[in-house]
Amino acid sequence: MEISAYLANDNLPQFLDTLRAFGTLHGPTLSESGVSLFAPLTSLDRLDLGYRRTQIPPKKYLFPFRDTFLEYRDGRYRFPSGDSKRTVLFGVHACDLEALAYLDQVFLSEPEDPRYAERRANLLLVGISCTPDDYCFCSEPAGSARCDLFLTEQQTGYLVQAESSAGASMLKAAAKLLVSAPPAPPRTPAPCVIPAQDPERAYSRDPLWDEFARSCVGCGACSACCPTCYCFDVRESTGLTGGGSRLREWDNCLFQSHGAVAGGNFRPGRVDRLRYRFLHKYCGFSPLQGRSSCVGCGRCKEVCPVDIDLRELIGKTAPEPGGGR
Amino acid sequence: MKKPSLAIAGLTACSGCQLTLFNCEDELREILERFEVAYFPMGQSDPDPKRHYDVALVEGAVSTPGDLSALFHFRNASRLLIAFGTCALHGGIAAQKNRSTPRPALLREVYGDRAPQLESFPPAPFKNFVSVDAAITGCPPEKGDLLRLLGAVLAGTLPAFPSYPVCLECRSRENLCLLLERNQLCLGPVIQGGCNARCPATGIPCEGCRGPVEEANVAQELELLLTRGFSREEIERRMSRFTVEWDYGQRS
Repeated sequence: MEISAYLANDNLPQFLDTLRAFGTLHGPTLSESGVSLFAPLTSLDRLDLGYRRTQIPPKKYLFPFRDTFLEYRDGRYRFPSGDSKRTVLFGVHACDLEALAYLDQVFLSEPEDPRYAERRANLLLVGISCTPDDYCFCSEPAGSARCDLFLTEQQTGYLVQAESSAGASMLKAAAKLLVSAPPAPPRTPAPCVIPAQDPERAYSRDPLWDEFARSCVGCGACSACCPTCYCFDVRESTGLTGGGSRLREWDNCLFQSHGAVAGGNFRPGRVDRLRYRFLHKYCGFSPLQGRSSCVGCGRCKEVCPVDIDLRELIGKTAPEPGGGR
Repeated sequence: MKKPSLAIAGLTACSGCQLTLFNCEDELREILERFEVAYFPMGQSDPDPKRHYDVALVEGAVSTPGDLSALFHFRNASRLLIAFGTCALHGGIAAQKNRSTPRPALLREVYGDRAPQLESFPPAPFKNFVSVDAAITGCPPEKGDLLRLLGAVLAGTLPAFPSYPVCLECRSRENLCLLLERNQLCLGPVIQGGCNARCPATGIPCEGCRGPVEEANVAQELELLLTRGFSREEIERRMSRFTVEWDYGQRS
């Protein structure tokens, strides 16, 4: 489905108010302390259209940091609902849309994750074009079809393109604010310039590995802020009255506990964890093996306190001989 | 079923950890219904030490012969000895000068002429003397951690606390990174999380009250702070506030 129209800048506020009919409107905002984040657009004054990247990507809408997913009492258990509300997330860049498409593959493939699925079904995505900065390492995609609606900035307005039937309904609802426009050219959803890497590279003898392992403070920010990192830990706690709950919480391959099992650790050293991160991010695991999940958003580079950039391992011309650890 | 008996006591400390129990107002009734509070000097008129406890939550650092015998008493009398709070786990506030000032000088500073009569040695964590069965970190501990521990004990197990640094929760809360964006002396990367980044969320850098995270890259945190313009002396003073026994060369 491809329907496109032109929205003049003057009509943007009214257009956004029209979108409120489709769900609670969220979009990029700036917090009081100056952090860029997706939040409810209670007032359109909050909207920060010129944002570069939010600290936490849109994954928080589908896969929140901490989520109680099972409760038990008296020998019975139940799965509490995710309590998700119909939400329109406005102003998502192509990289983050690509990341959500990746998470969809992870969580909605059989057997699908019911909590993710429930929230995903309630989330409408409105993408917007962007201007890359020094942290971005995307291919500067002209747009994205991984959404319901995509807005491409023009001189005095936006070219608006519906990418789903929900997007088409949004256009229909806002018809009086739009003028007709020629359809946009077809999109190539390839926002990241880093192609899938040979797993051999994750085990190369490159001395950079040791350098990174030496300087990584293990804060976990790269993974927490990554739009495609989805590892989680599961913990259970028992209440005083006999019942209990089980929650999942973002986990992180940079932490010692990530590879810890009874009797040992699959990745005892920091270098093992960095290699594992590379392997998952740039080489992919089955069934997504051979697929890089980096979307080039630049968050890992921006938030790392010690300027580690795993891409430097890719920049090398000749692949290193594998097997050395 | 007999209620498990509980001792809540302290060695050299401020009693703040013990009082965490009183901060559990909403749950206090449930706790008293399910546990027999056998020994709790902060909450009893006539506390009377017993020969056996199922669980002893003991706070504080070990800093006097009296502390040491109390610690041995609780170890010997208790099925589960819980190191309760940062002092019990890492020495805490009382130990912050252990490396920088000799004990007699500190005692003279505080007690003057009476100092020589005091039997006091550098404050140390429990692990230097006895084995503990579980620990709750924090200065003071999070009340949720205490409730989780009590709930787990009732279920016949011990709680699984997360072992990530403060930065994880801090980033997830979409706080401003005070270390990178405000150039403040924040210890978040090397400090045990679980506090939901309380301080950074209100604009105060992490002071390290929960002690070191597992496998802290201490050497790199030091290097990072030095590069950002803090003096070695200032960094060590801040890091020592709650944990003095850092190995500044430790990377993993």
